[in-house]
Amino acid sequence: MSGATLETGERTRLLVGGVLVVVAIAVLSTTVFDLPVADILTVGFVERLLQAASPIALAAIGGLYAEKSGVFNIGLEGFMIFGAVTAASVTFLLGGEGPNQADLWVGILGATVVCTLFAFAFAVLLVRYQANQIVAGLAVWFVGLGFGPFLAVLLWGNRNSPGLTSMNDLTVPVLSELPVVGPLLFDTSPLVWLAALVAVAAWVVLFRTKYGYWIQAAGENPEALDTAGIDVARVRYAAVVFSGAMAGLGGAVLMAHAGSFTGTGDTMVNGRGWIAIVAYLFGNYNPIGAAAAALLFGGLDMLQIQFQTAGIELPNRLVNLFPYVAVVVVLTVWGSTRMPSAVGEHYESEE
Amino acid sequence: MSADDSGGIRDLLDRAAARALDLTVLERLALAAASTVLALCIGLVVVAAAGYDPVAFLANVFEGSFGDASATARTLKFTTVLVLTGVAVAIAFRAGVFNIGVQGQFVVGGFVTVVTILWLAPMLPASPAAGVVLMVLGTFAAVVAAGLYAALPGVLKAYAGANEIITTIMLNFVATGVVGYLVEGPFRGEGNRAPNTARLPEYVSLPRVVFENPDFSVVGFAVALLVVALVAVLMVRTTVGYDMVTSGYQQAAATYSGVDAKRTIVTTMTLSGMVAGVAGAVFAIMIQGYYSDPAGIGTYGFDAIAVSLLAANNPLGVVPASLLFGGLDSAGSYISINSDVPVQLIDGIVGLVVLFVAAPELFRMAARRTGLGGEER
Repeated sequence: MSGATLETGERTRLLVGGVLVVVAIAVLSTTVFDLPVADILTVGFVERLLQAASPIALAAIGGLYAEKSGVFNIGLEGFMIFGAVTAASVTFLLGGEGPNQADLWVGILGATVVCTLFAFAFAVLLVRYQANQIVAGLAVWFVGLGFGPFLAVLLWGNRNSPGLTSMNDLTVPVLSELPVVGPLLFDTSPLVWLAALVAVAAWVVLFRTKYGYWIQAAGENPEALDTAGIDVARVRYAAVVFSGAMAGLGGAVLMAHAGSFTGTGDTMVNGRGWIAIVAYLFGNYNPIGAAAAALLFGGLDMLQIQFQTAGIELPNRLVNLFPYVAVVVVLTVWGSTRMPSAVGEHYESEE
Repeated sequence: MSADDSGGIRDLLDRAAARALDLTVLERLALAAASTVLALCIGLVVVAAAGYDPVAFLANVFEGSFGDASATARTLKFTTVLVLTGVAVAIAFRAGVFNIGVQGQFVVGGFVTVVTILWLAPMLPASPAAGVVLMVLGTFAAVVAAGLYAALPGVLKAYAGANEIITTIMLNFVATGVVGYLVEGPFRGEGNRAPNTARLPEYVSLPRVVFENPDFSVVGFAVALLVVALVAVLMVRTTVGYDMVTSGYQQAAATYSGVDAKRTIVTTMTLSGMVAGVAGAVFAIMIQGYYSDPAGIGTYGFDAIAVSLLAANNPLGVVPASLLFGGLDSAGSYISINSDVPVQLIDGIVGLVVLFVAAPELFRMAARRTGLGGEER
């Protein structure tokens, strides 16, 4: 126990140190390199950042639940691809090339349902058939990379969908007139709100309800949970299915913000599922921490537009790599995180 | 704190490795065959559901992989690269290190080969002998560059506890992005419309000898087999190999017998990257003859994971496994020309093979239930 408190203290110090370093770099770069930070940190940037962070946050919260319950769901990336392609397909099947907002919402819902079903099959492989979690998770990614574009070519004759429609902003009268906060919170995509809501709800459930304690116990001390008469396998099933559903929703949100599906290269998900895993590690297995970490990666993802408007000449392809480099840096500085002790262990009930 | 923490991942890997080693050779063969057949069956169901003729599709798969000499040459072309990337993955997985970054290391190696040869070529007379020298130097540069690129996540894992699965995946994106930028801009061949480097000189190429296919050379295939042999010997006969394999099998036992766990991780990653570098060089010299945007060169480094797993991470097993996936890739090229079925299906089927290989218990239970468990158990 004392180890844990020491660890928390060290973690807080690291976090504070990290923030200080970021601030120092920002100040240095304004003065030394004459970087127009004011041009970069605009309201529009924060709005785009929130939109870019939402899919990562959703997937991260899902992955966090699975890992808390003792199952490492490394397949988040794959589920996100399925979520994105399903959302685009359903939207297209309902509304053709000119779908309306209702079609898009049904598409998002459909993607979540489909990914829930896939996640159930995945959970059966992991929990019942004791599949190697790392290999099976990678496989989900490969399957997504194959069947996602396959479905796109089947529907549209191309790896990319035609332009569908993107999520309209939700404008709250009066409140949206407020300076800064107005456009950020009261004139933005409802999916940003959805992600924030999921983060708070996930925190409450995990740390304040008995279901949350079951999930934590399934990952830390499955024997105790079993003794208390709770079926460990069932808790893990629930957590893995939830993680797949959230990653699928995340992929759907990504598609809904972009307004079309892109299936070239590594598809439009392009590593966000992997970044989500790092987000919850960085957030120290706390749903709100994971969402906050997602903001960081979302911001890095959107820097490119800011650099362009601020007149900073850097090739797009290199600016696009910032999030990936950040992930490597975060993992290195943050080091290993204390995973739940029974992660990856298959639990056989004694009876 | 960190001893405790890295213990978590370590245990996970130990358990995975221990479980994989539970299987006998016969069981592994059965698992590989069953996984492939089941994945193909699901692929056929998808083909049928999408409104195509599954029988025609299956015929196309065979026709396109080993149907005639040109199909076979194409299969061997893919197989050559897959053998090398597959061995690169196998080295790491065998030692319990999950190097998912072979794709990135392969890209770095191939690009460095082309750049090195283009840079050195003007200094030597244009002759076949100079061609051989250039190819050797280019491959050497690739081995060094890719080895270093793989050593980085190895060091980060060993000394900072950064999970190598995620860092190597991120470094794949970085390699593709940076090399893509370089061939688009600074290293684009003069007057090239496409984002490609200049072509390698004519005399820098491997002799064809047997097949007509300009992209396949028996010499390249022989190089791949030579690397397999070298790695197999290294794993079984040398101390380095012994340390690696023991670490993969049981971390605790390895540490107890005096293996430096951290150094072994770095060595493993470096070796794995070096072989990926050879793969990149062979791909650049034998297949492409220049370097293009790595976003479009094929996923040899990822398919290699399927290859290695199917081969139970055994370097010798990688050869037949590569033949299977080389055949699938070759069938993919054939299907994309001769059939309307979207070729991405092949990638999906490869993914399904990996999924099923991860779950031996699935087939064991199925075998027990149907009473066919004789050779499975």
